Amino acid sequence: MHTYELVYILQADLDEATLNGLTETIENLIKSANGEILKVDRWGKRRLAYPIRKMTEGYYVLLTFKLDPAEVANLRRTLGYNEQILRSIVVRPE
Amino acid sequence: MSDYKSNGNGNSRRYVSRPKFCQFCADKNLAIDYKNVDLMTRFINETGKIRPRRQTGTCARHQREVAKAIKNARHIALIPFEGDIYYDPNA
Repeated sequence: MHTYELVYILQADLDEATLNGLTETIENLIKSANGEILKVDRWGKRRLAYPIRKMTEGYYVLLTFKLDPAEVANLRRTLGYNEQILRSIVVRPE
Repeated sequence: MSDYKSNGNGNSRRYVSRPKFCQFCADKNLAIDYKNVDLMTRFINETGKIRPRRQTGTCARHQREVAKAIKNARHIALIPFEGDIYYDPNA
């Protein structure tokens, strides 16, 4: 188990319920792989530095968690499949 | 590292002042973090390029870390790949 940090950007035009649903889905993704959520930090709506898929705003969420290194590739792939997630990045914090 | 930069005329040289120390070595509490937008923007120029060590004074080791952090920050659209940064009045 290693500590990782995930920043993902959701479409900003979704309603509150959908946003909450999506964040929950992502957390469950980690939990189902025997991971542990340490911290959730919602940055909220932010203007993107450049347009992504013609959208100029995104909803940023920072998630700190513990996960088995073997499961990380899987997580990255699954995040990429979701169309409502504009970008995601998984890194080991220093 | 040279403190002088050619101005394009060949023979004449222009002095470019720069910090003489690495700010990350000097301040151990200053962490290089791709999420820290204010810090990252100090290391890119107005066209969005990564500023060289000769301008920022960063040591080799920390420059590598800064470069990596900038690339991460670009990926999640915190700083642009090219062009000026937009300051959000609401942020």
